[in-house]
Amino acid sequence: MRHYFQLQARLLGRQLRDFGIHPALALLLGSLVFVGLSVIIFRKGEFAEYAYLMAALSFVVSLSERRRNEFLRGCYPLVTYRCIRLAENGAVALPFLLFQLASGRGWEAAVLGAMAVAFVFFKFGWGGSFTIPTPFGKRPFEFLVGFRKTFYLHLFAYFLAIMAIVATNFNLGIFSLLLVFMVCMAYYSEMEMSYYVWVHTQQPRDFLANKIKTAIIHASILTLPLVTLLAIFFSANTPIILALYGLGLLYLTTMILAKYAAYPHGIGLPQSLLLAFSFSLPPLLFFAIPYFYKNSVKRLNLVLK
Amino acid sequence: MIRIEQLSKNYGVKQVLRGIDLELPAGRVHGIVGENGAGKTTLFKCIAGLERHEGTVHSEWSPLKNHLGFLQTDPFFFPKITGREYVQLLGNARNLPQADLDAKNVFDLPLDQYAATYSTGMQKKLALTAILLQENQVFILDEPFNGVDIHSNILITEIIRTLRELGKTLVISSHIFSTLSDTCDQISLLQNGRLVRTVGQAGFAELEREMRTFTVGDRVAMLGLQ
Repeated sequence: MRHYFQLQARLLGRQLRDFGIHPALALLLGSLVFVGLSVIIFRKGEFAEYAYLMAALSFVVSLSERRRNEFLRGCYPLVTYRCIRLAENGAVALPFLLFQLASGRGWEAAVLGAMAVAFVFFKFGWGGSFTIPTPFGKRPFEFLVGFRKTFYLHLFAYFLAIMAIVATNFNLGIFSLLLVFMVCMAYYSEMEMSYYVWVHTQQPRDFLANKIKTAIIHASILTLPLVTLLAIFFSANTPIILALYGLGLLYLTTMILAKYAAYPHGIGLPQSLLLAFSFSLPPLLFFAIPYFYKNSVKRLNLVLK
Repeated sequence: MIRIEQLSKNYGVKQVLRGIDLELPAGRVHGIVGENGAGKTTLFKCIAGLERHEGTVHSEWSPLKNHLGFLQTDPFFFPKITGREYVQLLGNARNLPQADLDAKNVFDLPLDQYAATYSTGMQKKLALTAILLQENQVFILDEPFNGVDIHSNILITEIIRTLRELGKTLVISSHIFSTLSDTCDQISLLQNGRLVRTVGQAGFAELEREMRTFTVGDRVAMLGLQ
């Protein structure tokens, strides 16, 4: 068991170094970001505790992935396996739990603790042949694959939107819209294998234009019902809703360009920093988009020309 | 026709391919044999343009990659993509949207299931189907028979023969010599990154005999099996 966690620490260290950041610095920054985000979430309103609990549970549940657990069970005796899973779930849930306790949310902390223990005994994953239907079949793959992995987050976002309407909480409605965009952006966070770029006959500019066009259409399929719903029930704020919809599409476009600006590697620290700054200060997009576009064309030329 | 001249490739200090010269005429099937790590897959990736290399790859098709179907040894599939969507994805990449795919599903694949859940052989057949429907002129098939059942093996052999008759250029690797001798016009032996020998059909039997002698030698006796 000790060897397993030493190995995990080594793997995490390697991933962080590949990303271009020292593990100690990542730990420090990660802690600061976590505390900062937690404070922001709890200041945002009455449904924050549920969103926080859901976020914590989504991390815990991700550790119960079937193939990963079957591999672990094949490697270790049952007792060791359970101890590993308990330690993993505990380590992931602990920061959330401590923050819940520190902010006087004992009830939610108890639920999270109980769920973290319960999920030690479950494995999740599609074992059968059921295929989740999507409206993206004609233009695979980012939204098609991403939607099947994260459809529950879209359901959650729509649930939040309905809650926002019921409670007349405009901020929560906006959060639900931004959540959908954030999930969509995550579909472009990982680099596909070179083969899937190489196979295209298009020139880099056409390739990028096609990717952006597809992303805008697919993101609109997921967000327009939400935009419409919010515009109906918060009609006084329609210009804000439309502006955020436009900004979301712009962020998505930037994300795609940032991804291919790093091709064939994944998005690294420099791209992440520029993305983070541009997202928090939208006028920076006027610099970031041309910069990422120029670099994307240059990087894609390596394989598409 | 594809002409490869002085193709070399190294990963850091490790030289994987050393000065490969090879001609691949249209309407011919060229086999590549060699041990694991001999450089077959790297050679294929260099021809396809997936790896940077020294030397040149000339082709009547420009750019070659837009007319090339590359069946990889271990095709990668996104975790939540169905067989049908995978074929669609590769068709879209060549601006050839695939209609009536069921009629062309010659390997009887469960197209509406996730491709990642397919067996090794089924994944190979799906990847092959996708590149066949791309209307390519050149095919690089890296281990096309790997993990494939006997019926599909026969079908793949017939597909290769048909492609040759249609004047396509084919390069194939396989660890099963009989599959190459059944389909190829020429076979080249790749050893430590060098093409050490190329033989026509008349030389296949001798090449196989030589390889057997070289490979087996007294290695089985070394195991001391009792």
